[in-house]
Amino acid sequence: MNLRTKLLGSALVAATAGFVAASPAQAATICFAFQDLETEFWVAGHQAITTTLQEGGHTVIERNANEDANRQLEQVRDCIAQGVDGIIIIPQDGESAVTIVNEAQDNDVPIAVFNRPPSDLSKGIIVVADNASIASQAVDYIAQEAIAANPDDMLQPLIIVGDLGDPNAVGRRDGFYEAINRYPDNFAEPIEVASEWDAATALANLEAAVTANPDIDLLFTSSDFLFPTIRSVLEPRGMWVPRGQDGHIMMAGLDGDATACQLIQDGYVDATGVQDLYFEAESAMNAILAAIEAGEAQPNEVIEDPGFALTAGNIGEREMDMWGCVLLSQGFLDQ
Amino acid sequence: MTGPLASNPVGRSFDPAALAARYSAVLILLLIIAGFAIAEPAFLSADTMGNTVKQASFIGIAAVGMVFVLLTAGIDLSVGSIMYLGPLLAGIAMRDMEVGVTGALLISVLAGAAMGAINAFFVVALRIIPFITTLATLFLFRGFGAYLTSSRQLDFPDEVRGFGLATVFGLPMPVIVFAIIVAAAYVILVHTPLGRQIYAFGNDAEGARKAGLPTARLQAFVYIASGMCASLAGFVLISQIGRLDTGFGEGREFSVIAAAVLGGASLFGGVGGAFSAVIGALTIQTVQAGLVYTGINLYLQPLLLGLVIFIAVLLDGLRQARLDDSRRRIIRPFVSTPASMSSPKSRTTKEPSP
Repeated sequence: MNLRTKLLGSALVAATAGFVAASPAQAATICFAFQDLETEFWVAGHQAITTTLQEGGHTVIERNANEDANRQLEQVRDCIAQGVDGIIIIPQDGESAVTIVNEAQDNDVPIAVFNRPPSDLSKGIIVVADNASIASQAVDYIAQEAIAANPDDMLQPLIIVGDLGDPNAVGRRDGFYEAINRYPDNFAEPIEVASEWDAATALANLEAAVTANPDIDLLFTSSDFLFPTIRSVLEPRGMWVPRGQDGHIMMAGLDGDATACQLIQDGYVDATGVQDLYFEAESAMNAILAAIEAGEAQPNEVIEDPGFALTAGNIGEREMDMWGCVLLSQGFLDQ
Repeated sequence: MTGPLASNPVGRSFDPAALAARYSAVLILLLIIAGFAIAEPAFLSADTMGNTVKQASFIGIAAVGMVFVLLTAGIDLSVGSIMYLGPLLAGIAMRDMEVGVTGALLISVLAGAAMGAINAFFVVALRIIPFITTLATLFLFRGFGAYLTSSRQLDFPDEVRGFGLATVFGLPMPVIVFAIIVAAAYVILVHTPLGRQIYAFGNDAEGARKAGLPTARLQAFVYIASGMCASLAGFVLISQIGRLDTGFGEGREFSVIAAAVLGGASLFGGVGGAFSAVIGALTIQTVQAGLVYTGINLYLQPLLLGLVIFIAVLLDGLRQARLDDSRRRIIRPFVSTPASMSSPKSRTTKEPSP
C-alpha cells in the first residue's frame, strides 16, 4: 500500500468518523434496495453505503432486485411493511424510480435515490451526477488532444451510447455532443453505436461500425464497463495501441472504474469522466439520516455531483480522487 | 435437407411461386442484404459479411438448440440464463481450480447439459408444460448465478480471449464452432433415426407414442441439446469479451426464438432444420449491422428491427399457409395409404394458422 492510498484510507476513515459523529443518537433501520451489482461502480457504491451505515451503528436491510423493476417495488413495499425508518434505492430505471418514490412517500417513509435519477426530480432525495457535464469534460480533453495531434485533418469521432431509456445514458450522449460541437471544423458527424448497456450488443454493433468506418480517431464509451468489449473489437485490427504510438485512438469513458484507471495508467485510454461515488454515497446517507432525525417523512431535495475528468494529463495529481483507482490500489481487479 | 430448404416432397414440376414460398426465409435474407447494399454499397464487402456471420454465430449456436426444442412443439425460455450460468461455472472453475480453456469449454457444455436435463425432468417426468418449466428455470438459473457472484462481474483469463479471437485458415473461432454445431445438428436431424423420430414426434406426438417411439427420451434429448447449445453460445461470446456480468444473456431467449422461427422453424412443431438457425441468426444480425451501416437514428433502430422481424415472420406465415394448401391438394388422394413416418401427412390434417 503506497502513501497516497494510506492517506486516502485515513481520509475515508476520518470522513466516516465525522459522518458517524454527525449521525443521529438513535440507530436507524435503513432499507437499501439496489437493482444489481453488475458493474464496479455499483459494487463500490454498495460497499460505501452499507459499510458506513453499519459502522455508524445503523441496521441495513439489503434487497437485490437483480434488474427487475417490479421485484424492486415489491421489495420496497416489504421494507415499508417491516417499518424501516428510511429507504435508499438504486433503481432499475427512471420510470420505476418515480413509482417507488411515490410508494415510499405515500407511506411516510423518507427515501433517497442514489445515482440513477427518477424521471421526475421533484420528489424524494435525489443524488445524481451531472452526466452531461462530466461527459463533456472527458470528451473535451480527448478532443483537444486529437486536434493537437492532427490539426489539419477532419477527425472521425464515435460514441457508444447506453440504453436511451436511462437518463444517465441520455445525459452522457448530450455531454459528448456538447464537447464535439465546440470544434465543428475538426470533427465529422459522429458515428453512434447502440449498446443498450449490454456487452454483447455493443460488441456486435461496434464491430459493424468499425468495419464500416475503420478510420476512427476518437472514441467515447458512455460507460467504462465496455472497455473490455472495445478492446475485443480493436485489438485484432491493430487499433488497440497505447498513447504515443502510431495508430492510437483517443479514448474516453465515464464512471471512473478500476478498469479505466488501469487502462489510463497503461496508456490505452486517455480520460474518463468520474462520478464522485464517495460524495454521492455520503450525501445520500447524510440526507436520509437528517430527514429521519428531523421527523421529515417526505423530504424533497436534488443533490448534484459535479464530478471531474481524470485524464492522462492529471492522473499524477488526481488519481486517488477517483474511486476506481482506490479500488485498483486495493487489488480489486485481482480478486 | 429438412424444413425450409427441403426438396419438394411430392416431386411436382418446376413452379417458381412454390419455389419462392419454400425458400422464402432465404429470399427475405437476400432482400434485406440487397436493401442495405443499395443504401450503403460497402455493406456488401467481404469484411462486413464475415463480421456479420461471426456476430450471428452467438445467437445461431443457441438457435440450433432451440430448433430441436421447437421441432417437438416445445419451447425453452431459459436459454438466456443458461448462456449466463454455464460460462460462469466454467469461469469459476478456471479461477479457483486452474482449469484450462478446453476444460472450461467442457465444463460449460456439461453445465448446459445439466440445466437442460433439469428442464427435461420437469417437462417429461412431472409433465409440466415447457413454457412454465423453462420460465421458472429462467429465473432459477440466473438467480443461482447471481447468488454465486453476488451480482459481480467475472473476468476470464487472457487464454479464453485467445480462444475467442483465434482464427483457423482465416475463419474466426466463433464461426468454426457455429459451423460444427450446424453440421452436427444437420447430421442428427437428417441422417439418423433420432432425427426422424424428433420430426415424427413434432408432427404428431400421440401418433409417435402409439408407434412405440421413445417419446420421453426424445423430449429429454431436445432440452439437453438446447441447454448444451445455449451454454456453448455463451462461452463463445464470453471468449470474445473476456468479462461476464450479471446481465449477460438477459432477454436473449427472444432473439434465439426469433432466429429459429425466422429461419423457418414452426412454433407448432415438426417443421425446421439446422439451417433454420443459420438463416434466422443471419437475418437478425444482418438487420442490426445494416442499421449501424446506414447510420439510422438510435431511437428508431429497435422499431425498425422489430418491424423487419415482424414482416419476415408475416411473410413466412403466408408461405406456410400456401405450402399447407398445396400439400393438402396433392396429398389428400393418398390419405388412405399407409404413410411413412417422415411424410408430411399430419400437416395436412392441421388447419392453417389464422
